[in-house]
Amino acid sequence: MSVIVEAFGLVFQPNVLLVILGSACFGMFVGAIPGLTATMATALLVPITFFMDPVPAIGAIVTATAMAIFAGDIPGALLRMPGTPASAAYVEDAYRMTRSGRSEESLGAALVFSAIGGIFGTIVLVTASPALAEVALKFSSFEYFWLVVLGLSCAVFVSPGSVTRGIISLLIGLFAATIGIDNPAGEPRYTFGNVELLAGVQFIPAMIGLFAVSEVLRSVVSRSERPPVPPSSGDGIFRSQWTNLKRYPVQVLRGSVLGTAIGALPGAGADIAAWISYAVSKRFSKQPQKFGTGHVEGLVEAGASNNGAVSGAWIPALVFGIPGDSITAIVIGVLYIKGLNPGPTIFINDPQLIYAVFIVFFLANIIMLPLGWVAIKSAGTILAVPERVLMPIILMFCIVGSFAINNSIFGVILMLIFGVLGFLMDENDIPIAPAILGLVLGPMLEQNFITSMIKADGSFLAFFERPIAAGLGLFTIAIWCLPLIAMMIARRKRTAPGPNAPD
Amino acid sequence: MDSVSHVPDVKLGGPLAPLLFDHSQDGSASMKLNDLSLGILVLLSGVGIYLSALQFSPIPGQAYGAETMPTTIALVAIGLGVFMIGKAVVVRNAAPVLALADWTRSPMALVGLSVAIGLVVFYILFSQAIGFVPTAFLVIVTLMLTLRTRPVTAILVSLLATIVIQQAFGRLLLVPLPRSALGFLW
Repeated sequence: MSVIVEAFGLVFQPNVLLVILGSACFGMFVGAIPGLTATMATALLVPITFFMDPVPAIGAIVTATAMAIFAGDIPGALLRMPGTPASAAYVEDAYRMTRSGRSEESLGAALVFSAIGGIFGTIVLVTASPALAEVALKFSSFEYFWLVVLGLSCAVFVSPGSVTRGIISLLIGLFAATIGIDNPAGEPRYTFGNVELLAGVQFIPAMIGLFAVSEVLRSVVSRSERPPVPPSSGDGIFRSQWTNLKRYPVQVLRGSVLGTAIGALPGAGADIAAWISYAVSKRFSKQPQKFGTGHVEGLVEAGASNNGAVSGAWIPALVFGIPGDSITAIVIGVLYIKGLNPGPTIFINDPQLIYAVFIVFFLANIIMLPLGWVAIKSAGTILAVPERVLMPIILMFCIVGSFAINNSIFGVILMLIFGVLGFLMDENDIPIAPAILGLVLGPMLEQNFITSMIKADGSFLAFFERPIAAGLGLFTIAIWCLPLIAMMIARRKRTAPGPNAPD
Repeated sequence: MDSVSHVPDVKLGGPLAPLLFDHSQDGSASMKLNDLSLGILVLLSGVGIYLSALQFSPIPGQAYGAETMPTTIALVAIGLGVFMIGKAVVVRNAAPVLALADWTRSPMALVGLSVAIGLVVFYILFSQAIGFVPTAFLVIVTLMLTLRTRPVTAILVSLLATIVIQQAFGRLLLVPLPRSALGFLW
């Protein structure tokens, strides 16, 4: 109990609360601007959190991402431009509701059900992770090896884009992770005599490059003027939500559960959760024909789902040190820099810290309601900030952030290299998330593999000798076989005479 | 302006895609290598990494060590490259070696891209010599003007942004940003 009291003490301090409020506003703003994603919000926050204590640092990231995922719905509903990829699934319904004069109902639903999904995900996080951590304490390098491989496999096979391009991205990240002297043999690799590369590719500049600089470059080449924001319409942001909650209780629950579960899957995050929940909602709806015409049902379910995923992604991150999506991949990098090793031991060594993170999650989802209300009301002003003014400032911010980590210009060079790399990857439809997971998990993969092989005296079979390791191993191999199965089903569908043909 | 054009190209793919979604629209708007050339690039990178990994040695007395990871990455890349090349040859997609996006035909976009990258290089080369404040101001204002922000707005906002960033990082977070010769703001 004293741990929880201590955790409250850590969170309820004026400076921590101020940081949370500030990052909430920042997250709302970044999420609401099309082209600036929740991951970018995290990337831009990291250089600042670098100078903070662990609780405000993590609190800032938790709050900013939860807000950004909701705020992505604002330009989606008003301009038909999803602010973050997680809002893309139901943008059509949200926008059409605005067109028929129900913008407040649509955004209110996004807000209220985002908060519900987020709180549901947090409850699962709070109850499941300490129990999982107990189990994880018994894990050896064999189990961790499989967990890392599972995380990387999910990032490739479950994330957007083609599998081959996902693997390319993963290989880029893993290769970048091999640079430096920090490997089991302690041999410098690919450092080309550069002293700064001995420590490996610095994580923060690489991430700022991949997620922020690449977006700046993208916006420079494909500039689009945003259309004017339609005035707020409808009968109140919160008024109709009680009716929606009573009408769609199953949808809310299903969205929250599925979103949290998808988030908890290593490698899959909020955007995938929203797409899948929207598809599920449509499939089981009594009125599937209304989807895409301004129907609130899918918005309710997928809106709860993407925020559930934000919380769910923290389960594998905190319990195993395996990120659930690119945001938690960044968080894990931050935890390492702060000298905290994410994984089950953190629950024993710093339980007050974990409980403080949980409290921040609840706080974030609660203050989302009033702040979201303000953001919806001031959407016109936020969306009036033009990209051509914003992007140069973001670029400068990236430069300073990359410099500040080691006070070295080498960080800026790395940032530029990864920025151009991220831009070229994006141009070629190569997803970025697997690369960042590869960069974060590469050293862990190598370490656990070599340790296991030394323990097993070179026998591969040892990876299947312990029951949990065997289970994880088989599950991972099953995921590798997924593309083949999907291909076969798709082929059968194609050769079938009609969509409703009997089996 | 047609509002349809504002929807970003969001696609969900992966092996689950055919089971869940149908996206027949597949407009390309990027500077894209075709599958064959991408496959060749992956294959060559794989071979390069494999050869470079030969210089690393295992941990003494063990079968594995510093070369394990690069060699594994190389082998996967080689396999993937061969697969992509094979698939491209079988499918015989008519896509050009390098499909240029619409933006590559726009001089404005090309200038913008070169200026943005050039400004970061400028910062890397000259910030130590000229100091943070003038370099940062130049970087922000030049990019704003390139993106056609009105000059007065550009200058005022750049000045303000420079001061805020300098104060936040230099004063508050004590980052040793390069000092300017003029001693301005220090």
